[in-house]
Amino acid sequence: MLHLQPQNILIQKTLSEAFDALNKGTSLTLDRIISDFDYTTFHVSNSPEDKSILLLSIRTKAWQSVQKCQGSIGLLDYLQSKYQGCSGAAISPQPEMGYDLTLQITLSQLTGESLVQLSLLKTIVLSYPFQLAFDEFAQLSSTPVPVEGTPPVSNTLHTVQYRDEESLFIKPASDRITVIFETSFQDETDKIFGKVFLQEFVDARKRNRSIQSAPQVLFSHEPPLELQHQIQPRSDPSKRFVTFVLFPRHFQTQELQFNSVAQLILFRNYFHYHIKCSKAYMHSRMRFRVDSFIKVLNRAKVDEEDDSKGDSSVHAQPTRRTITGRKMVY
Amino acid sequence: MSQSLRPYLTAVRYSLEAALTLSNFSSQEVERHNRPEVEVPNTSAELLLQPIHISRNENEQVLIESSVNSVRVSIKVKQADEIEQILVHKFTRFLEQRAESFYILRRSPMPGFSISFLITNKHTETMKTGKLVDFIIEFMEEVDKEISEMKLFLNARARFVAEAYLDQFVY
Repeated sequence: MLHLQPQNILIQKTLSEAFDALNKGTSLTLDRIISDFDYTTFHVSNSPEDKSILLLSIRTKAWQSVQKCQGSIGLLDYLQSKYQGCSGAAISPQPEMGYDLTLQITLSQLTGESLVQLSLLKTIVLSYPFQLAFDEFAQLSSTPVPVEGTPPVSNTLHTVQYRDEESLFIKPASDRITVIFETSFQDETDKIFGKVFLQEFVDARKRNRSIQSAPQVLFSHEPPLELQHQIQPRSDPSKRFVTFVLFPRHFQTQELQFNSVAQLILFRNYFHYHIKCSKAYMHSRMRFRVDSFIKVLNRAKVDEEDDSKGDSSVHAQPTRRTITGRKMVY
Repeated sequence: MSQSLRPYLTAVRYSLEAALTLSNFSSQEVERHNRPEVEVPNTSAELLLQPIHISRNENEQVLIESSVNSVRVSIKVKQADEIEQILVHKFTRFLEQRAESFYILRRSPMPGFSISFLITNKHTETMKTGKLVDFIIEFMEEVDKEISEMKLFLNARARFVAEAYLDQFVY
């Protein structure tokens, strides 16, 4: 499992289970809490009256900051447009208590396509600020550049606070979109492993010719220039900043846009997942090494059984012992 | 094996062989106690021998402290950068947590060293001294090898992971 998938498999499975049960005539009573990365929880439950109607609610850390992003369309309108073509799903006007957004699913109308779309809920919510940035990019890039002077500059900076300590920033410009991740590590080991990994992200593009067209990755301890009015330099020395520079070729079509966004949203998860994996590998490796050291040490032990056998075959007489059990030595 | 490692290990081997001449010795201070004299605060100077300090460079050193019935061997493992530092720390801690299966391993290293062994006369009576020395020498060789292999692995994995991630953006 090298790559993480943008959709939530548990939602997918729960919904298809409910769908199959309904088709068989035995509708399921559901009340499930499903979790996802970055403090996201989903709640899948039946509507109290009608079991063929499911409610899918999401609560995510990023909701508040995503809602604050200013753009041409509102967050709810954006989500509405995403779920418009999705048969069997509709945004419920009143979200469930304790959740940010609730979708009402009519199971009988559910199709395979809308099932996938529903399991992408978290990605779609988080893709809103990216969509705003793409729109603004389109607007900026179509404005003609004055002959003498600088190209139009955007002042927008979308902030998504998707964890307690970490945020991501999106800055559109006329020729690129910059995505900046703020990261900090709790564990001392993670910090050092993370440094190795991040350095490789920066170098990968330079070294490997086949991924030359991937976004440029930068890594710094200081907040990048784009953020300098947002964050005081050196406000927190443990913070690191990872910058992805997306060029127009990464978001030319709808499909590419979705791909890039889904990958970027999973960046932190992917990166931390592989740090944990290498720690696990080292652990099993050390376990093996300990075994081999113990083997070497055990060679040093005087093995009583072997000795007595060896003696008896050479001298053809049983080992003689004193009354206390000690071996007689001649 | 590099040119300077061989004489370093040879020096450690001969010093250990010389130091590992231990005999049973009951405590002079406490009745019916038999304790490793190198580990206890000692008032009688005749029980402790001159410690031997062998150092290849400032990062790789061995300290052999011997006494009449016990020898304490402390090893400083090479740590060139912070990755190696953390790897050595993790590895030695991992070993120390399993000290009971290692018999001669000390649960905490001497200050300034990465790992310490304590060999008492009990050990030399139940184990072959030559093989014990072999173990310590092999340990020193293997630890260096293991640490550098783990570091290489970490870099290789990071590289692979980064390339695989960025590869998804190539359209």
